[in-house]
Amino acid sequence: MAENNNIIEMNNVGIRYDQGPEILSDIKLALPQGSFHFLTGQSGAGKTSLLSLMYLAQKPSRGQISVFNHNLNFTNREQLASLRRRIGVVFQDFRLIDHLSAFDNVALPLRVCGMDEHEIRKRVTELLTWVELDSHMQDKTSTLSGGEKQRVAIARAVINRPDLLLADEPTGNVDNIIAGKLMKLFVELNKLGTTVVIATHSDKIINDFAYPRLHLQNRGLHIYYPSDTSVLGGLYV
Amino acid sequence: MSDSSYISRKQELPLKGENTSLFLQVIISIAVFIFAITLSGVLSIDSMIDNWNKSILGSLTVQIIPTNDTDKEKSRAETLAYQEKAVDFLKSVNGVIKVTPLSDDQLTELLSPWLGDEVNITDLPTPRLIDVKISPDANIDFSQLAKDLAVASPQASLDNHKLWLNKLIAFADGLNLIASTVLLLVAGITSGAIFYTTQMSLGLHHNIIEILHIIGAKDTYVAQQYAKRMAFLGFMGGVIGLFFAIPSIFFIGNLALAIEGGIISDAGLNFADWSIILALPLFSMLISMLTAYYTVKKTLKKML
Repeated sequence: MAENNNIIEMNNVGIRYDQGPEILSDIKLALPQGSFHFLTGQSGAGKTSLLSLMYLAQKPSRGQISVFNHNLNFTNREQLASLRRRIGVVFQDFRLIDHLSAFDNVALPLRVCGMDEHEIRKRVTELLTWVELDSHMQDKTSTLSGGEKQRVAIARAVINRPDLLLADEPTGNVDNIIAGKLMKLFVELNKLGTTVVIATHSDKIINDFAYPRLHLQNRGLHIYYPSDTSVLGGLYV
Repeated sequence: MSDSSYISRKQELPLKGENTSLFLQVIISIAVFIFAITLSGVLSIDSMIDNWNKSILGSLTVQIIPTNDTDKEKSRAETLAYQEKAVDFLKSVNGVIKVTPLSDDQLTELLSPWLGDEVNITDLPTPRLIDVKISPDANIDFSQLAKDLAVASPQASLDNHKLWLNKLIAFADGLNLIASTVLLLVAGITSGAIFYTTQMSLGLHHNIIEILHIIGAKDTYVAQQYAKRMAFLGFMGGVIGLFFAIPSIFFIGNLALAIEGGIISDAGLNFADWSIILALPLFSMLISMLTAYYTVKKTLKKML
């Protein structure tokens, strides 16, 4: 794959677990820098698997993936870690570290980069205040409600001002007001240059924000543009 | 809340609360205890061999075999004449500082443990002994000296003390080898215990490690947390082991002294030996830390 403006490129990617059938087949995808996409599909369509390929948690069973112009077939562990630092991920099940406080969870991406503790405190406090969790900074995340955990997870994903933000149902556990606020945050980050992919089931969000939709169906990936109601071309390259 | 200075950082991996911590600390304590006792044995044996070598390095003994004559007076006179010749020859040798033939009283004293105090050695065909002191930097060919001595005084024979000590030194070396093997085994078993408990712990905290990796933590970041924790356990285990080992070393030392054997009393620990023993907690800390660090690095390569 030649060097270009795409944050992620996938060519003929397939993924299977153990010796089972392929969950995703022949995925071809190119996400330009600064783009914003929704990822949709029925439960079990492979949204989480596709996202996990994007945040480099697993390798495909076949095909080729390039992230930030690094072909993953030729990327070592050290380089993978450096690439992951440029990606923010919001998990559907939050995946927070329960025995840590909200503050420490959000501070994690900065600490693994070795940032100065004074700067970390400043940034984390600011962001937790923004997501209205300033009164819970010291609370262990195991004591927080679902909505609060979700906001901590989002804060952790964006604290490092990532180049690529991947979110799996980021507004699933929050009320409409908070959901709107979080979506505004994603849009703002996107305007600042962050490439965003949000997996969601919410028609309201998809309709409220006019962004292209990556739709997983029959193990393949299809693209819908906001103005269209039909599948366009089947592949988005 | 603008002031967050009250927030204290917690380790991402909850290693402090692990059940295996106590187990490891006990293992390391026992290992350091055995290590310290064995090491003190090795160092004592080394000092014993060193003392033996030092004591024989500057001296020789020449023995004058009594002549075989039924006339005791004549035999004694001939033996003393050979002794005189040997003394004269030895005084002429380069590097010899002092030549002292042992008197009858000194010979009687030497033989008294076996023959009693009442024996008159002039009545017995006992060999005469000459104590020879040589300069520490003298370069003497002992084989040639023995030949030249035999020419100068045919009844004289040279004993440079090495001969009888060689067997003792070989025995001591054997003990040393066994002790060194024990030391290696103890270090190996401790490292093995750390290796397996670290692997268990990595399995236990798989989810947290996965999160850390996804947000960009390198293997080193995780390995450092384990290394830090194991360094603490290694050091504390070492201190506890040493706490029990030191009185035991003194106790064994006193038992050895009570034997009142000249050879064993040569064994002892000097300042450098004690420094090595007292540094064992640092050694156990280092072993624990490095074992954990490399175990994590190696295991993570397979995990994710």
